[in-house]
Amino acid sequence: MISAAQLRARVGAFTLDDISFDVPSGAYGVVIGPTGSGKTTLLEVISGLVPQTGGTLALNGRDATRESPDARGIGLVYQLGFLFPHLSVEQNVMYGATDAAFAASIARRFGVHDFYSRSVNSLSGGERQLVALARALARKPELLLLDEPFSALDPPRRAAARREVRAIHRELGLTTLHVTHDFAEAGSLGDIAILLDGGRVLQSGEPADVFRHPKTPYVAEFLGAENVFAGGVMHEGGEAVFRSGPLAMHVAGSAVSGPCHAIIRAEEILISRATPAPSSARNHFSGPVRDIATVGPLWHVTIDVGGVPLVAALTTYSADELALAVGDTAYFTFKATAVHLC
Amino acid sequence: MLAAVASSLLLLFLVLPVVRLVAAAGPDGAARLWSDAELRQSLALTAMTATAATLIAAVCGAPLAWLLARRAFRGRALVAAVLDLPLLIPHPVAGIALLLLLGRGSALGSSLLSLGLRIVGTPLGIIAAMLFVSAPLFVSGAREAFARVDARLEGVARTLGDTPWRAFRRVTLPLAARGLIASGVVSWARAVSEFGAIVILAYNPKVVSVLAYDRFTGFGLSEALPVAAALVLLSLIPLTALRALRIDDGAAGV
Repeated sequence: MISAAQLRARVGAFTLDDISFDVPSGAYGVVIGPTGSGKTTLLEVISGLVPQTGGTLALNGRDATRESPDARGIGLVYQLGFLFPHLSVEQNVMYGATDAAFAASIARRFGVHDFYSRSVNSLSGGERQLVALARALARKPELLLLDEPFSALDPPRRAAARREVRAIHRELGLTTLHVTHDFAEAGSLGDIAILLDGGRVLQSGEPADVFRHPKTPYVAEFLGAENVFAGGVMHEGGEAVFRSGPLAMHVAGSAVSGPCHAIIRAEEILISRATPAPSSARNHFSGPVRDIATVGPLWHVTIDVGGVPLVAALTTYSADELALAVGDTAYFTFKATAVHLC
Repeated sequence: MLAAVASSLLLLFLVLPVVRLVAAAGPDGAARLWSDAELRQSLALTAMTATAATLIAAVCGAPLAWLLARRAFRGRALVAAVLDLPLLIPHPVAGIALLLLLGRGSALGSSLLSLGLRIVGTPLGIIAAMLFVSAPLFVSGAREAFARVDARLEGVARTLGDTPWRAFRRVTLPLAARGLIASGVVSWARAVSEFGAIVILAYNPKVVSVLAYDRFTGFGLSEALPVAAALVLLSLIPLTALRALRIDDGAAGV
């Protein structure tokens, strides 16, 4: 368990301020944030390598605020690996190991065993990351801290390394905190997501919850929400309606009223070429297609609604079937519950 | 073109006097190693005192260099400035200052004398003068050697269960070793070539630089030449050692 309460730290001019979150025992926490948000510093504070200037830190139920790094039972993996260049790959893996057989089994699981005899300086960035992972896990730590540990791996090895880390995490009941700037990675790995920016926690919670219910428009945009509108909610004839310029959309519930932001994820919007048949979806928009672009495995279609761009996502298969082109008229449909207000 | 000519002229100016000296008196200097007992003793004394000064500089200077490279503490800039001081003071002035502190008229000098430690006119005086002029070079080189070792390597070693001292011994020291040895060699070479401070604190027993000066003033250039050439040959040892260290210097990645 990692429990941070009002944690503060300073490195040069950068400060981590009022950091509070909990990663329960055996859970997989993911810290997401842009470059320079303080993600690596946070891991170094938890490791005891950067001193806390305030707050408390509890690791597995004990107060670790003043514990030295070697007593914290932590395995730390930096993005660049930081392998010891004067030691062989095997010596790196075995550096902190207390159980040689266990360490060797970990090395085999990450394929590190194959390049035991190679010099550390001859390894590729990805191979360094695998050795660093094996070195940290070979010690059988109580807590695992990972700083973009798969960033230099090619996609197949990244997927394999991710599976191995998840498997070992489950087998050992290892509380893990994994830093990334990739929300897709966060969604696929994490039980808990912690959003960090400018040295502060913006939001934390279950990844799906954070993804669907961002607390602020900044968080929504940060998480890649395509449709974020500033406007206000009015209650019209017993129904809540969000208005922003030419857009008027039905929203669920009546808790919010007055100025706010509406967020609709592109995946929540259905696209059709003809007026859609009546359905439970309350919101219908149409307009000329302004842009069609690929975003990873998806296509993003942007239509113009009275000068406001609205983006919907569809799979390659659906895109082929619809055969939309720029200038065509498209119809967008989504339910009132797809509109998140904040 | 102009730059090439200027560079060549400077290099010639640096190399020619030494080459001329070795050519004129090198063989004679080497031969004198057998026949001239005073020169032999002087060379041995120079090598031993320089080694002692370098060892003291290393033992006391390495922790200071590590602190300067790794820790931000109040007064760090002041300590760095203090370390530059001996490099800026003319060496005879350094000798006079040391004489003032360690001479028999001083409180420290007389206390040391009562313990049986005579500084002025003894090998201890030579070591003190050598240490004063060479230790700052060691600390400055060692500081760079420690600073080149990424602190995160020590951090990783700490998370792998090492105490600070164990992480230093297993990671920092081996990675900084080449730089530390090079600093020791530079420090040793500086000690061997020292004259100004030594001549004031301990004219006798004579180190080679003092012997060369003594022969020059007492017997003229022809007698000083072989001694000077022997000193140049002695100085080739650290030069060769430094070359060897640099040739092997592979890039240490993370």
